[in-house]
Amino acid sequence: MTRTLLTGNAAAAWGARLARAEYVPAFPITPQTEIIEKLGGWIDAGEMDGRMVTLESEHSMITAAGAAAAAGVRVFSATSSQGLLYGMEMIYTVAGWRAPFVLVNVSRGLATPLTLESDHNDVLAARDSGFLQIHCSTCQEVLDSVLIAYRLAEDARVRLPVIVNLDGFYLSFTREPVAIPDPETARRFLPPPDPERAHFRASRPISQAVAVLGGGPYSYFRYEIHRAAQNALSVYGEVADAFAAAFGRSHGLFESYRTDDAEIVFFMMGSFATKAKAAVDCLRADGWSAGLLRPRLLRPYPDAEIAAALAGTRGVAVVDQNLSIGKGGVLYTELASALAARRDASPVLVSFIGGLGGRDIGAEEFFEMAAVTRKAAQEGRAPEPRLLYTATELREMRKLQSIALRERHQIGEIPPARRASARPEREERP
Amino acid sequence: MTETAFRRMNDLPSTHLLGGGTAMCAGCGGLQAIQEVYDVLGKNTVFVNAAGCMTLLSIYPFTPFRGSWLYTAMASAPAGAQGVRDALDILVEKGRIPPEENVQVVVLTGDGAAYGMGVSATSGAIDRNLDFLYICYDNEGYGNTGQQYSEATPHAARTATSSGPRGYPGYKKDLFSIWAAHRPAYVATVIGAEPLDLARKIETAARVRGPRLILALAPCPTGWDFEPRDTIEIGRLAVRTGVWPLKECVDGQVVHTKVRRPRLPVEEYLKRQGRFEHLFAPERKPEILDEIQARVDAYWQRVE
Amino acid sequence: MYCIRLHGRGGQGMKTASRILGSAFFEEGFEVQDAPRYGAERRGAPIFAYVRAARRPILERGIIRRPDLVVVADETLVPVSAAGVVQGVGPYTVLLIHSAEAPAVWKRRLKLGGEVFTLPVAPEDRADVPLIGASCAGAAARLVGEISRDALEEAIRSELVGMRAEVVAENLERALGAYDRLAPHAGCVREGDAEGVGPFESPDWIDLPFEDARISAPDIHAGGTSVQVRTGLWRTMRPLIDLEHCHRCAWVCSTFCPDGAIRVDDAGAPQIDYDHCKGCLVCVAVCPPHAIHAIPEEQAADAAAAENAA
Repeated sequence: MTRTLLTGNAAAAWGARLARAEYVPAFPITPQTEIIEKLGGWIDAGEMDGRMVTLESEHSMITAAGAAAAAGVRVFSATSSQGLLYGMEMIYTVAGWRAPFVLVNVSRGLATPLTLESDHNDVLAARDSGFLQIHCSTCQEVLDSVLIAYRLAEDARVRLPVIVNLDGFYLSFTREPVAIPDPETARRFLPPPDPERAHFRASRPISQAVAVLGGGPYSYFRYEIHRAAQNALSVYGEVADAFAAAFGRSHGLFESYRTDDAEIVFFMMGSFATKAKAAVDCLRADGWSAGLLRPRLLRPYPDAEIAAALAGTRGVAVVDQNLSIGKGGVLYTELASALAARRDASPVLVSFIGGLGGRDIGAEEFFEMAAVTRKAAQEGRAPEPRLLYTATELREMRKLQSIALRERHQIGEIPPARRASARPEREERP
Repeated sequence: MTETAFRRMNDLPSTHLLGGGTAMCAGCGGLQAIQEVYDVLGKNTVFVNAAGCMTLLSIYPFTPFRGSWLYTAMASAPAGAQGVRDALDILVEKGRIPPEENVQVVVLTGDGAAYGMGVSATSGAIDRNLDFLYICYDNEGYGNTGQQYSEATPHAARTATSSGPRGYPGYKKDLFSIWAAHRPAYVATVIGAEPLDLARKIETAARVRGPRLILALAPCPTGWDFEPRDTIEIGRLAVRTGVWPLKECVDGQVVHTKVRRPRLPVEEYLKRQGRFEHLFAPERKPEILDEIQARVDAYWQRVE
Repeated sequence: MYCIRLHGRGGQGMKTASRILGSAFFEEGFEVQDAPRYGAERRGAPIFAYVRAARRPILERGIIRRPDLVVVADETLVPVSAAGVVQGVGPYTVLLIHSAEAPAVWKRRLKLGGEVFTLPVAPEDRADVPLIGASCAGAAARLVGEISRDALEEAIRSELVGMRAEVVAENLERALGAYDRLAPHAGCVREGDAEGVGPFESPDWIDLPFEDARISAPDIHAGGTSVQVRTGLWRTMRPLIDLEHCHRCAWVCSTFCPDGAIRVDDAGAPQIDYDHCKGCLVCVAVCPPHAIHAIPEEQAADAAAAENAA
């Protein structure tokens, strides 16, 4: 095992290499492209025994990935944002083929407006597809999760493709120390694909992905996918244990950071969750009882386990780096439904939408979210969902609008700049 | 032409490989062509299918194929073929399956996918020199949804979305030339009504490697509005009037494989189909008929 | 934790500089995070990269708001507000700038509380190979004081692997030269304090109001608004037209300028719009009588200042 500095993209490529991916259908899209460039470089240099084909679209890329996986080879692919959406028909389709492979998604906000920076609306659009989803918060986790994902996907009790998600820029282009497992240990952890899974042989014809007539057979096949995804919860536990035994790193269904006695818990996914950890450390240092719960496995969703982990928590600040237009945060909605099944544990949930399109979340915003959530817990009542957006940002927005709109009076009210002295004293100090 | 096993009609297979019991319409010209194609190709194949009428060949748990089948989606069957082809190559290379287990990869789509939504994936696959055979059954409209016009619909045909007195205002896209412009290994037009010509072309296509197109005009009793028993007759007329030239392209050279002289007037073909009925009744539309005839004549003038 | 920001222009090797510095810290046993900050900008446009290094796992992410050390490859970026060179600079922030002017001048000009050091700009910094990045990395390594000469050298070799031997040698020379030059100031950068909650300014969150779609869709209701973007700030070399030698052809430089930044006046004389000229020097290359030449931007600024003084 070597420890070296890798970007999240390079870590993803290393995961595919150590998993001995044999086939890589590809299509470039920012901020993912570095992954396929890296793999292409290794294959060209003879360092990796694989075949890479650049298709003419993500729709074709995911089709080819699913078809090759169905034919029995180990497939890796990667995409992002608009690319994932362009391939969305096939995301749903190949999941139903029960053809296991791993797709890395480098999260990036969706148009419109077009952006290059990160949020989770892209990967959440694939939420209901039948792909399992693992969400990463560090570059190390990206590499490890790709290996875990193959073993999970190929398990006979699951047989579903898996998306491993990392955030654009904050992970994709950021280098961090990453321990690269040695190939032999990786080989022992992840054996070659089951030769019995090779389809389309001359002697063993198969008609795959066949149409059905009527809701009965349809319901059967769809619900079986659901059952397989549910199986993935317990299978994941086994795989994570095996991973920890092999490599000494634990990656549970979710990460609990200082939650044991926490009254206030941040609930959020992805790389910004490490910022929440830093905030938790600061809050703890000042006597706050705060923690973080970070879902890793979003599909299947570990309802019972998450609800159990939050038993005893008084307030949860759910920070959604996504926006379901017309509804709000997706994590918030899902957590509420997970908790609704339990009568004993009912922390107050406060919904925050933050980090859209890569918008940073400052330390002081974490502190403020903690304060708001604690107040809500004390009062037993949650405030309205809050977009993390400041008057300063709106003033900047007005400047842009004054250029974009011919008539200055069209641009709407400009919030006054806050004067430090005018700021009311904060009430709750620890 | 090289050695062929199909010199006379008697050389054609008399028992058939593709199973009966499918959901295709009675008298389906596409299915009739696929029967002939499958007999020549054999069962060591995987048919990679795009959304269209033939998707319903396999309805769980029934399939007419003796070999394999994979349904993909409307736009990306050639990409599915890419994945299967590459995977089989990898498996054979690595000795994970013996070479005799290898199969030929065949894309099967209708004209909706072949002329429209699937062009990008097809162009990409040809460009990558994918070793595959593409079979298009061209019934000149979105047949499975009730025959709306497609990019393969001929001028003046009445469809569910071109039901005015002059029918479809556009002209049939020249898919043969679009393929040929990519310089693939082989491109040919066929029709089930000319089985010897079809068998020889499938034979040729199966012999070469690389991207290959078999474009089969598929007379469609349901969509074209004629009696199912007339399928073969309509097909023959398409050839004898010169509306459907039978040809192939090898190394950039286009050769017409069956040239009928003299050609019958196009009216003989058109008047047998309900979709062109409005050109004859309530009153004749000579300007449209003349234009169609002139276009067919101009084509043959260019090639002869 | 050390928080270091490196400012330069696209093409000056700031990403490589941040990686060299990151790798050098890593060699010394630090936990490290390094990243470039990309935008839509191109060669010559302001960019920055950053490095965090600590003896503990790094949980913080994203751009560095309060740097302990700011390294500036190109002094002409300082007045460019979009470059944000002095953003978040506090009383203990150390500034290293490549400039011919004295540290005291910069300290006074920018009203800085922290220490300021300068390194001279070498002529080869305008060359194709961006050696100035190596200089930035070497200087930063020394000012931090935690990085040995060997670790720096090792980091440069590992980051430049695959480059020609003479390129690596030149980079080593520049980086180690900067490193040695700043020996008297080794360790003058102090790690930012680990932040507790302490007294913090609560964010000025607002409730975003509904606004009419005519306003709130990303549409621009006017033409040519891009002229408000001063892409002239990307320029490091300034084309100058010698009107005495100009043939008054009235079209060559003007037609071939990719940015449409040369207009020909009524007398047939071309004029360069320096607000938007990016300094690509196509005009220099295409002028038939070679009547356009280029000079370094700061030289032009000096000349202008001298003219004003006179």
